Amino acid sequence: MTAPTTLDPRTKLVMVLCLSSLAVFIRDIYVLVGVLLLSFLISVILKGNLFPAFKQMKRLLLLIVVVAVAQSLFAPAGRTIVALGTVPILTTGGLIQGAEFILRMAVIVVSATIVATSSYREIVQGLVQWKIPYEIAFMVSVAIRFLPMLIEEIKDVMLAIQLRGVELQKIPLRKRLRIYSYILTPIVIGTVIKAEKLAAAMETRAFRAYPQRTSYMILKMASIDYMLISFSMLAFISVVIVYYMWGI
Amino acid sequence: MFPVELKNLYFKYVGKQTNILDGVNLAINKGEVVAILGLSGSGKSTLCYCMNGLIPHVYKGELSGESLVFGSCLKNMKIADIATKVGTVFQDPDTQLFSPTVEDEIAFGPENLCIDREEIGRRIASALEQVGMTNHRLASPDHLSGGQKQLIAIASVLSLQPEVLIFDEIMSQIDETGKTRIKEVIRGLKKSGKTIVMVEHNLDNLDEADRVMVILKGKLINFTGKL
Repeated sequence: MTAPTTLDPRTKLVMVLCLSSLAVFIRDIYVLVGVLLLSFLISVILKGNLFPAFKQMKRLLLLIVVVAVAQSLFAPAGRTIVALGTVPILTTGGLIQGAEFILRMAVIVVSATIVATSSYREIVQGLVQWKIPYEIAFMVSVAIRFLPMLIEEIKDVMLAIQLRGVELQKIPLRKRLRIYSYILTPIVIGTVIKAEKLAAAMETRAFRAYPQRTSYMILKMASIDYMLISFSMLAFISVVIVYYMWGI
Repeated sequence: MFPVELKNLYFKYVGKQTNILDGVNLAINKGEVVAILGLSGSGKSTLCYCMNGLIPHVYKGELSGESLVFGSCLKNMKIADIATKVGTVFQDPDTQLFSPTVEDEIAFGPENLCIDREEIGRRIASALEQVGMTNHRLASPDHLSGGQKQLIAIASVLSLQPEVLIFDEIMSQIDETGKTRIKEVIRGLKKSGKTIVMVEHNLDNLDEADRVMVILKGKLINFTGKL
């Protein structure tokens, strides 16, 4: 069997690695906007599921104010927009720093949608074919697989607490934090039990029976993959050289 | 030589005062379907773990007596050897299925045994046919019903081609339609000569059993109609 998606997951991983590295290294808001637009474009072409990403970014927008104020207070730069006496509360520099932070986060979130266009089995296989030990790649894939289950479990426990008459929203933050510590115990125990069951099922199916294993799925890179990987790496290196060495 | 034989088996979990299995003796003939009943906490699952090697290889405790599969002591067998002789399907389908597609799930076992790709392909097709799920080969297990998930769990064990199958309360979380389909599969497996151990607490699920036993206070006795 070969992977059903058009691009090899390794190609997507390289592209995402280049995009997110650029997002971290670049400190120019215009270049960051360009990187984000490129991420969007790639995600759209690969039919990435952008809707949840938009939802997450909507939440991130609130952070822009926090980051902008924090930057303005502790590292004031640019023109002061809002001040409390002589203390600058919001500066143009702080606002730009906040916007840059959000752009970086947005690139990472959109990049995740690019990787998510491959199934985690394909990603594991890609990593294995890159000579990453199967156990490590498999561990990552199982974590991805069981994350929604863990979220579901947290929701269930929260609901159970609320059904007993505890209105979390009306409780002061300090007390609420104590309640959260109580719900941690059943969640951790539930997770450990599930992990034990999973381990038992895997053992009975000969997991780690031998140091090596065969794979039914084999990924084959096409010429488009080689071209895209080369282009991504060249583009990444060029941007870094132009940005850092020439200071443009 | 019996496919499964337990000789004077005692087991106590770490930190417990009493034995959960207290002198269990059992010999199952080839092609026989044996049902084991018992109340919650009576040691049914522990007994399964003793028959599939999870005890002593994974779960630790004080074990004495012998657990044999085709005359070989499980204690001295490698995981790979046990997996090709004894297949186990557990109660909860969600903690047994961890692959993005049905095909990947069924391939997992043979891949661990280093079986070549062509053979794995044949085994996937055969296992899916046995459980009547051929049309779902590329589906995600997350999108299947509880009964269908359990059928895939059975298929993923069948791809290892074990002679002995242990079903640990596999119908306890399944609706009536799902149960009917699972029972049909068990009937088919019985016809094909597999030796089956069905651990159950529901008497309605024992249609295919040739022999019914009950585990009571750590001892395994013939079922006389009362738990």
